[in-house]
Amino acid sequence: MAITHLKKTALLLVILCCYISTAYAQQSPQAVFDNANDKLEAGNYQQAIVLYKNLEAQNTVSGALFLNLGICYQRLDSLGMAKYYFLKASHFDETQAQAKKALDYVENQFSRQSAVLPKLPWDIATDWLRYNIGATNLLILGIIILNLGILLFITHWFVDWFPKYLRMSAYILIGLAVVIIGSGFYTRYIEQRYSTAVMVTQKVSVWEKPQSKSSLVSQAFEGYTFTVDKYKSNNHSGWAYVRMSNGLYGWIPSDQIMIL
Amino acid sequence: MKKIGRFFCVTGFFISLLALFSFRAVGQSTVSVEATVSETTIYTGERVNLSIKVSGDFNNVSRPDLPSFSGFRLLSNTPSTSRSYQFVNGKSSTSYTYTYSLIAETKGSYKIPPISINIDGEEHKTEPIDVKIIDRNESAKSSGSQKPNIFLRLEVSEKKPVTGQQIVSNVVLYFKDGLEVNSYQPVPGWKAEGFWKEELKNTDRPQATSTIIDGVRYRKARLLQFSLFPTKQGKLEISPYKIIVAVRSARSSNDPFGSFFGGFGNNQRQVQLDTDPVTIHVQPLPADSEGEYLGAVGNYNISRTIDPKNATVGESIEIKTTIRGKGNVPLVTKPDYKLPDGLEVYQPQESSNLNRHNHRISGSKTFTDVVIARSPGSFTIPEKKVSYFNPTQNKYIATTLPPLHFKVKRNPKTASTADTPTSLPVQPITGLATWITPASVSLFAYWWFWIGIILPFVLLGLAYWQKTYSEKMSSDMAFARSQKASDKAHDRLDKAIKLSEQGNIKEAYNMLQKALTGFISDKLTLPEAGLSNQEYVDALEEHGIDENLVKNVRMLLDKCASISYAPDTSHAYLKSHVGLAESTLDKLKKVL
Repeated sequence: MAITHLKKTALLLVILCCYISTAYAQQSPQAVFDNANDKLEAGNYQQAIVLYKNLEAQNTVSGALFLNLGICYQRLDSLGMAKYYFLKASHFDETQAQAKKALDYVENQFSRQSAVLPKLPWDIATDWLRYNIGATNLLILGIIILNLGILLFITHWFVDWFPKYLRMSAYILIGLAVVIIGSGFYTRYIEQRYSTAVMVTQKVSVWEKPQSKSSLVSQAFEGYTFTVDKYKSNNHSGWAYVRMSNGLYGWIPSDQIMIL
Repeated sequence: MKKIGRFFCVTGFFISLLALFSFRAVGQSTVSVEATVSETTIYTGERVNLSIKVSGDFNNVSRPDLPSFSGFRLLSNTPSTSRSYQFVNGKSSTSYTYTYSLIAETKGSYKIPPISINIDGEEHKTEPIDVKIIDRNESAKSSGSQKPNIFLRLEVSEKKPVTGQQIVSNVVLYFKDGLEVNSYQPVPGWKAEGFWKEELKNTDRPQATSTIIDGVRYRKARLLQFSLFPTKQGKLEISPYKIIVAVRSARSSNDPFGSFFGGFGNNQRQVQLDTDPVTIHVQPLPADSEGEYLGAVGNYNISRTIDPKNATVGESIEIKTTIRGKGNVPLVTKPDYKLPDGLEVYQPQESSNLNRHNHRISGSKTFTDVVIARSPGSFTIPEKKVSYFNPTQNKYIATTLPPLHFKVKRNPKTASTADTPTSLPVQPITGLATWITPASVSLFAYWWFWIGIILPFVLLGLAYWQKTYSEKMSSDMAFARSQKASDKAHDRLDKAIKLSEQGNIKEAYNMLQKALTGFISDKLTLPEAGLSNQEYVDALEEHGIDENLVKNVRMLLDKCASISYAPDTSHAYLKSHVGLAESTLDKLKKVL
């Protein structure tokens, strides 16, 4: 009888432990966020970062989360990480303005500043499509226009009302739809292949090849921003192929950067 | 007052003396024990002296515990002893030497085993010594030595070391009896390419011992000693070491070496001697090391400390890593630590302390990581596994450095500024946030993409079919009649029933006939009027229609033609014929 009672007690304890350990994980994102904000306001930046990062790891994110993470790292004097999270926050409408202010401030704190080559018009256009419209919206728009064009084309077969104009309008709409759908796919390809990355360590060398014995291209410092070619980098574990903001290309150890 | 003053003076003097002695006791440095033999190659029957020398700072030393010697006989268990005291550069040292006499008995190669000796309660052991006993008669027979009367050799402790292993290299002078070496002067500029070189310090003056080479007795003396550390693997050559030696031959007409120096015309000359180059085959280190390999080869003790463990924001914190032991101390590299976020890391410092005594390089190297915490909190530097290579055991030895914990408190002096740590123009967002779960999916994965692409083309296909059909119906009469034949026939049949219901039986049968003949003429593109029933039947037979079907058509047409003569034809009777006509038309529709 005593052994049975002991087993039951042990079982109850295990269930209780499981409940306690999962209770935290079961908290809503807002509850964890509020808890982390309390830690941040109390000056416990490390603990706040742990909580914020739990949310990030669960893929439940918001602009406020990234902005607050950036503030934590800025207060810990880890400016590379702060810049990384402010950049992430700048992609959300609700935090875009604040994130840009914070980025301006952080950029001025770095001891080394990188020269920035102006972007090519094509890159500007692609970035505008990525950040202002988005690949999915482009695709939706393209499909709607394609359907309208085909309906117009069908109409000109059965309606005698300006068939020539109907047909021409249909051709124009279908052509426009093809261009927009193509832009949608290109934008998604660019999104998947290239990403912005921020250097989060103090100093690192940029190499010509993915080996630390190859020729040196340049030195990079904390806060430098790169464009990472993910397709090319996937073939070399531990290395990332990057384009520096001054236009130079090279290889950098992937643990030195954070990819957006 | 005077007495009290003297009392304090005397007491102070004794306390100082006591402190001095206790400091000496605490500060006892290493004690070295070395065993040497007066000759390492000897003839059978010769006597050889075995000396055990204890040097350093010590208080009590016991008599050596002698093992049994193979090939030798111990003349007496009671050693002769000697003691010396040195005071060099402010440091004192004592040496105590026990000397035993051994008689070589049996020819062969032997090893004098390690000898234990108890010093201040601690047991020390000497290194084993290789000695060779040769037969005097055999040696005399084979004596054909071509070696000069005086020469220099570079003798290395290891010819197949691994990268970084310590090789002790002795510059040894050999000279025959009858020559007297007054002084020597190394020629500067000796390079040992591929090696890290450190000269060892020996306070003792070189002592000459006797040896036999190719049956000829020489005296030998170690002049200099170096530690070499190979820095790369492969075949490396140590270039010749050069020494200028001042020698004097004995003034004897019977001097067997007189001819060698005779040509100088003077009894004392300076001679430059070169060692032969020595080839070393450096082996690579094993590939896999457990933990981070620090480049250390030898025998080490690795530790790390942190100071202070409780700091304030802005105060520097030092993480000291000490690698202490015997081996390539100068070549040891700093371990990399994963430091927690929020620490400002400064350029690490390193210092080393080398001991060049005791015939090998030993000492310690200290790396100091300096960090400054910029925010309060508890920090932990995680544990770290580091390793060095021990050539004696021929394996990597791993040491786990335990985690270091330290706490950082707010600096009370900067409390007012700590509340507003930066002038970042942005405040945290602490209210409700909008949460999303971002997902990057392929555009092809959306269902609406496929619907949106496929549907318009399906509609386009259908519209095209409808357009083509309409055009054919309006331009091709035969096709239009054929398409409309079935509907037209059914309309006529319905009309026939209505006429029958109204009592116009004969007109109903006429309509039935029109339905049948109209369907056949529309389908077979025959003239719409002017054909006999037989011609319709013939046309069906020409198209190979089933015989029973043709028979039904003929029967129905005959019935329609003969109904005018039927006296009592009822509505039910007609309805049965309409039913038969409908089934016949359905069958014809399938085959025409």
